[in-house]
Amino acid sequence: MNDVKIIFNREFKAYFYSPIAYVFSIIFIILNSGLYMFHFFFFGNADMRAFFSQLPLTLGLIFIPAISMRLWSEEKKLGTEELLLTLPMKTENIVLGKFFASFLFYLVALAGTLVIPILLLILGKPDFGPIIGGYFGSVLLGAYFLSIGIFISGFFSDQIVSLIITSLTCGFLALIGWQYVPMVIDGWLPGVGQFLYNYVGVTRHFNDIERGVIDLKSIIYFVSFTILFLYLNAKSLERRKY
Amino acid sequence: MIELKKVCKNYGLTKALTDVSFSVKKGEIIGFVGPNGAGKTTAMKIITTYTAPTSGTVTVGGYDVMKNPLEVRQLIGYSPETVPLYSDMLVREYLEFMGAARHLNGNLKSRFDWVVQAAGLENVLNRKIGVLSKGYKQRTCLAQAMIHDPEVLILDEPTSGLDPIQIIGVRKLIRDLAREKTIILSTHILPEVATMADRILVISGGRLVADGSFEDLRKKVTQRNSYYIAVKSTKKDFEAAIKATPEIEDIEYDHEQPRGIVGAHVFADHKVDLVEKLNGLIREHNWTVVEFQREKISLEDSFIKLTQAATEKSGSDVAAKEEGGAE
Repeated sequence: MNDVKIIFNREFKAYFYSPIAYVFSIIFIILNSGLYMFHFFFFGNADMRAFFSQLPLTLGLIFIPAISMRLWSEEKKLGTEELLLTLPMKTENIVLGKFFASFLFYLVALAGTLVIPILLLILGKPDFGPIIGGYFGSVLLGAYFLSIGIFISGFFSDQIVSLIITSLTCGFLALIGWQYVPMVIDGWLPGVGQFLYNYVGVTRHFNDIERGVIDLKSIIYFVSFTILFLYLNAKSLERRKY
Repeated sequence: MIELKKVCKNYGLTKALTDVSFSVKKGEIIGFVGPNGAGKTTAMKIITTYTAPTSGTVTVGGYDVMKNPLEVRQLIGYSPETVPLYSDMLVREYLEFMGAARHLNGNLKSRFDWVVQAAGLENVLNRKIGVLSKGYKQRTCLAQAMIHDPEVLILDEPTSGLDPIQIIGVRKLIRDLAREKTIILSTHILPEVATMADRILVISGGRLVADGSFEDLRKKVTQRNSYYIAVKSTKKDFEAAIKATPEIEDIEYDHEQPRGIVGAHVFADHKVDLVEKLNGLIREHNWTVVEFQREKISLEDSFIKLTQAATEKSGSDVAAKEEGGAE
């Protein structure tokens, strides 16, 4: 556990060495708040449904890939992976340290959007159930996408390649959960779209939680996939040996 | 302390190491020598548990690198050839991080102070690693390898990129440590191994081609004795005198001597000592000696001979296999 903390400390600090993280956090907050404000002024409802419906897409396409891309790709490029992986630490602990660092960074950025519920509270009487549910779902969704990002980052020494592949993967997972996308796919390949929507897309689980229905199945879905990808990441790094 | 048994490593179809076996005793300094791409770095990566051998076993301090990698890593300090460092961190932060990661806990402060002083990093502690010169980066990398006082140090090209004064400093540092540590260092700079290592391992084409002290290696490649002699005489007289001595196998004239002086490299079988014979010739012909010395084969020459012999051998192996395949 101590090892996780040592890696976590370094990794979390490392986010603040370069401006990239700041830039992406600001983009994330502005983009999400901006898109939301359009709905807010148009419909004048004191809820955050519009915010949480666009969140999987902005997270999956932009923000998560941007903060997960450096986790291993940077180490590979600098060659520091060689020293890191020859430290007397379990690979799993190094992966966990890195994951928690990026997760905390994500939570900080997500906290930046708390301006919206505060605004709603001032302007009207929002129902806090779905808002709390929405944030809870966002935390789980972020962890899941980050675990995919760190897993993909373990294969490439180029950060941009990691970014693009993570973005495509998470973007696909987010899009497949939107009603229209499976319908279009069903048009070409009957049944496939619905199958992907039911079993692969994340948005369905996210929407359940966001509606305030905190279903154990959905929580297990996110947590188990997060653990699976982190485990695969550690295994894929150890596989380099053979 | 370190033992490799029949270690092979293949990267796809490329054979990086073939049947490498050697053992290193506690407190020994081993110089790893070989041309680029010979397999030095691969061997080091296997010992440090970064890569796994395709076959064979490697143990460090009694622990198998495959079965107990964590114990092996705790024993080892490693400075890779590429000098990998986090360029955005301060030297202080980096060393503290590496110390903590090596589980120094309570000793961190005293080990940190020691290593900073030993590596001469006092003046750059608060600088970003990215802006340091190559020499300081190399020293920072050496410092992280030593911060946990490891029993085994694996140093891949520890003096590359340093200026001559820094090289002397690093050599001194390594020698100071040597009393209690087992060290494997690789290098291209041959005088370096001759001055630092107790034992030299020459590796070429993925095979271990020689193992022994510098003198052992020199003997191994010296097939004949060589002398240089320059006397005041004419070439004709000199040639006649040499021809009359059957022990002399070969002669190479030195054309750079001025008129009136004949200079030549004289060779004989390695069992025959020519000193007496040549002195006899000098007395007999009443020559005035300008220069006379026994020539030693240089480290560079022995290195080239050893590695060339290995390449030729593995080259013929391949040719033989190809012929076999054609049949």
